Amino acid sequence: MQKKAGPLFYIGLFVFIFLVMFPFLWILISSFKPVSELFGEKAFIPYTSDPTFKNYESVFVNHPFLVYLKNSLIVSGVTTIYTVFIASFAAYAIARMQFKGKTIILGLVLSVSMFPQVATISPIYIILKNLGLTNSYIGLIIPYTTITLPLSIWILVTFFRKIPFDLEEAAKIDGASIMQTYWRVILPLAVPGIFTTAILVFIAAWNEFLFALVLNTEEAYKTVPVGIAMFQGQFTIPWGEISAATVVVTVPLVIMVLLFQRRIVSGLTSGAVKE
Amino acid sequence: MLFRSASIFERCEERLSENTSKPKKKRKLSEKSIAYLLIAPSLLLILVIAIWPVIQSFYFSMFDLRLNNPTKSEVHTDYQLDLKRYLDNYPFLQGAIDKELRKAEGQNEETLTSVKENLNQLNSTLLEDEKIAERYEAIDEKLMNFEKVGSKERMIEVDKDRAQEIQKKLSSVEKELKALENLEDPNGVKGLSSALAESVIKPNFIGFDHYAKNLTDKRMWMSIWNTVVFTVVSVAFELVLGLLIALLINKAFFGRGLVRASILIPWAIPTVVAALMWKFLYDGQNGIVAKVFEEIGLVNRMATLLTNDTGAMFSVIFADVWKTTPYMALLLLAGLQTIPRSLYEAAAIDGAGKLKQFFTITLPLLKTSILVALLFRTLDAFRVFDLIFVLTGGGPANSTETISLLAYKVMIAQSNFGEGSALSVVVFICVAIISIIYISLLGRDLLDDKK
Repeated sequence: MQKKAGPLFYIGLFVFIFLVMFPFLWILISSFKPVSELFGEKAFIPYTSDPTFKNYESVFVNHPFLVYLKNSLIVSGVTTIYTVFIASFAAYAIARMQFKGKTIILGLVLSVSMFPQVATISPIYIILKNLGLTNSYIGLIIPYTTITLPLSIWILVTFFRKIPFDLEEAAKIDGASIMQTYWRVILPLAVPGIFTTAILVFIAAWNEFLFALVLNTEEAYKTVPVGIAMFQGQFTIPWGEISAATVVVTVPLVIMVLLFQRRIVSGLTSGAVKE
Repeated sequence: MLFRSASIFERCEERLSENTSKPKKKRKLSEKSIAYLLIAPSLLLILVIAIWPVIQSFYFSMFDLRLNNPTKSEVHTDYQLDLKRYLDNYPFLQGAIDKELRKAEGQNEETLTSVKENLNQLNSTLLEDEKIAERYEAIDEKLMNFEKVGSKERMIEVDKDRAQEIQKKLSSVEKELKALENLEDPNGVKGLSSALAESVIKPNFIGFDHYAKNLTDKRMWMSIWNTVVFTVVSVAFELVLGLLIALLINKAFFGRGLVRASILIPWAIPTVVAALMWKFLYDGQNGIVAKVFEEIGLVNRMATLLTNDTGAMFSVIFADVWKTTPYMALLLLAGLQTIPRSLYEAAAIDGAGKLKQFFTITLPLLKTSILVALLFRTLDAFRVFDLIFVLTGGGPANSTETISLLAYKVMIAQSNFGEGSALSVVVFICVAIISIIYISLLGRDLLDDKK
């Protein structure tokens, strides 16, 4: 299927990318519009004659948006580090050791990743409430494990399998124990795979909504998705502020995607494709 | 030469020299147990945080569990006596009866005396039980000192016969007092007696009642129908568009990285943020997409997109297709890249056209990739929550309410955890059925140990 692309192809490609990116571009423009240009006839003009930073200012002054960002960073960061750490051991064992029940364990991991979150939320809510852990970081990090742990094990297993098995044999002959082999031989080679997994886990935790909505209802512990969703008031929707907040959340993700696109793609497609 | 330390080399040589079967066997055994040790933390977490809650959800679904109602805020399979409620009402009821007795005459006096007698008797039989008496005193003292009584402390288990007997007595007291006329302060006596009659708490186990109620409820079937429509239509569009995009960009061209990055961005942003963006674009007065759709005649009025039921379903599906087609395209592109080019060359030599090549080479070889992508996407679509919660909230008139959203509303907004759990079990069963169908189509491919 490899062939040279013609000019028509590039035009088509450009149209496609424009359509995909259009919502972002429109939101970006809207975020700089003054309130008067967000409503009525002027709302459909793709530029503004009077650009303003008022919307951005309002996001940080009228809403505790910095608090939301901090909460999201802490929760997603801790979740990522701890799940990838625990998952790496399990993935190593599944990918490179011989033991009974391996297929069952992998099947279990896969089925748990398919669990609907809504099916686990009532007991988790009641337990965390009784323990006084609703509206806390740890109370969100624990349930996030249901989403991130199966995901990390699943991706890491495919990465660990790609490392040549000869290396382990060599280390074994050199007299290294299993844990030594893991720490000194396999882990350094698996760093790119672990990093990729960490990016995907971080994005998954950063974007999670249902648990955050139910468990952390106090302003001081809300995460970014819940915080933004609650911008809309009862009767009016502050589109200017929402646009600005959207840009603030999207820009770091765009940078991350641009930097790590290769890794993200390899992580997303691992396990889905048999090579 | 990874391990240069002399001691390791020595040990290594030792082991090589005494190359008997014994140490080898020992090593193998330990590899197995190390493997289990390495897996243990993950397995334990999965059991505690994912599997146990699902079982618990199923258990909760068989109880009338409401967090906003103190008598139903916990699951209990036994009869209980709410001692706080009892002590909050019993002494005052006695006082009120005494007050009435001072003024009462004839029939009223007789009834009041016998009620008082009955209550006294009930109270003393209660106090005969040591366990109850002990708790009784403790709570009484706390109430005297205006201290708070814990929600666990106020309840005491009573066996079934006893509880029913107490209930019978309290109910008859309530009934007798309600029948009285010409009372000084009728509300006092009657109110206190009916409050007292609620001291006996029945077990809130109700078996499959929630399921029976919901399986005959139009709203639940409607939400399942909405979920199925949303899932089937959006996943079908995503598959076709994703395959098209994958085929298009599966060639060498300038700026591939940029294209890949730009189609990853909709995937990477939080669903909530995407939903808010689309809500703005669909807005009935100021939304540019709504305006464009009106101009090209796709809708007759801008407001149709979010206020009409078909319009709202279309809007939700359109936003979902925009957000997840890139993911589908990437999965399929990765599958396409594993198909060897030589196959196409051979087919071209044999005179097969592009279309024939697609149906005889691409599609059969892409089958596993397509099924895996469909599996993940179908499950994600079926569990949809964030997108609809933000974009339409399930409206207008529940026309976009999916089963997850309904479960959330019943559970959190109405604090009805029993019924909400039952609905979430329904979601779980649907998801399980979908995955079983896909996995049986995929065979053991998915979990195969080898590459």
